[in-house]
Amino acid sequence: MSISRKVLAAAAVAALFTSTGVVPADARPKNQSRAVAQPDWLEQNIDNPNVRIIEVSTEPGIYERGHIKNSIKFVWHTDLVDTVNRDIISQAKFTELAQKAGISDNTTVVLYGDKNNWFAAWGAWIFNIYGQKDVRVLDGGRVKWEKDGRALTTAVPTFKAGNFVANNPDKNLRASLAKDVLPVAKKTKIATLIDIRGADEFSGKLFAAPGFQELAVRAGHIPGAINVPWGSNVNADGTFKTVAELKKLYADKGVTGTDQIITYCRIGERSSLTWFVLSEILGFQKVKNYDGSWTEYGNSVGVPISNPSGTIWGAA
Amino acid sequence: MGSSVISTSQQSEKSPENLGALLPVWTRAEKIRTGISLAVIAALLGVAFLLSSSDNPSNAPISLLIGASLGLLLERGRFCFFCIFRDGIEDKNTTPFLSILIAIATGSIGYAVIFGQFLPDTTTDRLPPAAHIGPVSWVLVLSAFAFGIGMALSGACISGHLYRLGQGYIRAIPALFGTLIGFVLAFLSWNWLYLRAIADAPTIWLPHYFGYSGSLIITFLALIAIAQFAIRKGKNSEPLRAQYTGPISIATSFKRAITDRWSPITTGLLVGVLGTIAYLRVEPLGVTRQISTQARTFMTDNKIGDETLVGLDRMAGCIAVISEAITNNGWLIIGIVASSFAAAFAGNRFKPALPTVRNSATALLGGILLGWGSMISLGCTIGVLLSGTQAFALSGWVFFAFVFLGSWVGIKTKLHKL
Repeated sequence: MSISRKVLAAAAVAALFTSTGVVPADARPKNQSRAVAQPDWLEQNIDNPNVRIIEVSTEPGIYERGHIKNSIKFVWHTDLVDTVNRDIISQAKFTELAQKAGISDNTTVVLYGDKNNWFAAWGAWIFNIYGQKDVRVLDGGRVKWEKDGRALTTAVPTFKAGNFVANNPDKNLRASLAKDVLPVAKKTKIATLIDIRGADEFSGKLFAAPGFQELAVRAGHIPGAINVPWGSNVNADGTFKTVAELKKLYADKGVTGTDQIITYCRIGERSSLTWFVLSEILGFQKVKNYDGSWTEYGNSVGVPISNPSGTIWGAA
Repeated sequence: MGSSVISTSQQSEKSPENLGALLPVWTRAEKIRTGISLAVIAALLGVAFLLSSSDNPSNAPISLLIGASLGLLLERGRFCFFCIFRDGIEDKNTTPFLSILIAIATGSIGYAVIFGQFLPDTTTDRLPPAAHIGPVSWVLVLSAFAFGIGMALSGACISGHLYRLGQGYIRAIPALFGTLIGFVLAFLSWNWLYLRAIADAPTIWLPHYFGYSGSLIITFLALIAIAQFAIRKGKNSEPLRAQYTGPISIATSFKRAITDRWSPITTGLLVGVLGTIAYLRVEPLGVTRQISTQARTFMTDNKIGDETLVGLDRMAGCIAVISEAITNNGWLIIGIVASSFAAAFAGNRFKPALPTVRNSATALLGGILLGWGSMISLGCTIGVLLSGTQAFALSGWVFFAFVFLGSWVGIKTKLHKL
């Protein structure tokens, strides 16, 4: 009796997936077709109760004036971070947030946002840290969706609470200064550090890119880091480059995915996009995002930097 | 729209003979003027069409159209805050004042409808996105008062100068130039004021305490009280509707729409509706963002003042951005001036008059106060007074009170006659 029930349940689940077109959540390695949602697919699944669409944009009011149907909004700088401890959102808070959004363990989460999916990728990173299995980012994000002339709505959906419970945070996805980054900088551990900021920030010519106020008192980069600006992951329309293009981009810099990789930027947001590309699209097994990034590293006492430009804060 | 004031009650008394005499005659000059105005409007629509590109979607075309509508409303409804205040204070004619109250009433309903969807839960600390809800402190009192004095000195508020520019009011040019100087002075004093008062000032939003319906009730009670006071004070108030007793025709309707001043009720309603549309589609109505952006970019380029304006970018209002390009607000202003010109020209109200040295100087000085006051208040009579009160912000009401007080002092001390 119990066996037949299990079979029945499995059949029902299988039927559900085939009818809704949702690919079952596989274990790693991940790949592009699993991690990147195409706009056409999303349009077909827009009313699918097993798909939850979340907008994480930076511009205030952009979600309210029109968003993808059935999408809800997460505010990255209050919903997804712990502002008191400078930390990612806590396990308990994230459980609460996700349940309120109607997310269950088997929900396919699709994130999208403005500016090349900048904070949508941060959201995907947080979902992965807390163990949600099927997390995708919409190809091209909000900009491509609008350019394609696809529909937006101002109606805000509400959902029945889901049963998602956050796992303990996955330490394999997140790098810390003391345990991961500093040993690499001091060459007691081996890993590839990828600095995704602009070339002038990397070389130390600039302390902060124009438009950014949060500063470190030193310019330059972590010793041994290579520079692959985050924008090179995407095409002009914000869609991800092909797997072949991405593989070549990183292989040319000597990144093949065999070693541990640590991505960083200024506060860890843009680098979460590179984390997403390496871990979720190319399927590299060992990729961590360092969310302390340059604002932590560059300001830390007794920590070496590499600054080819030799700029010194405050000196002429 | 303006044709709604036409009354047909006395038509039956007209005999066919003098009916012909009552029909408006379109002189050749009127036809030419109207033609030119229509060409300007067509050009505005054409520019809006050219700005709309599917490759690069932006809010520029809708901003231009909102600006064009606003220019038309300001010009045809004579929606000039200073003129309205002066009518009431000097001439005891408070009828025009009702248009402001009606604009707030209509807009607050529209805002409540939109807010209900943008931010259903008003009990949290969150504020609806981009709405002009500012901090309330003695600085706002001071800057609003300065703005009121500036209105009296220069003869109009900032939106007033913009639309009167379209009527050929050349004195608006030194006033708007003064406004730019005022913005520079405001940026220089911002950090000092911010750290002393604005940073700790409360940002009071009525729905946070009373919900949307409670806030609407409070707003309406306040408006009714002010209206009652205004009506009582209006010893020489003009009648609400100019009686029109002639026959209705397309020509009369059209001619009345472009020559007769629109009723305060019509104007107020339409300004309120336009404010709602602007907030829904782009941002709250306001006319100072582009001008202050101009000033801030000039300062950055020339390394004048502090590089950082503390806390400013976290504020909601007509905040300057550093930009060389025309912002949405820039398109809005282009729309205001161009369509105000079209409306004025068609109605033969485009009358350029050379300003004197003396009144240019007072306009410049008043403009400086307008610029300083609006930057420190985070907006002007449109951005804070209208868009703030419509959004249930206490800052909007405080600004309203002290702008009025400033104008009152300015009129009583005859600053506008200097």
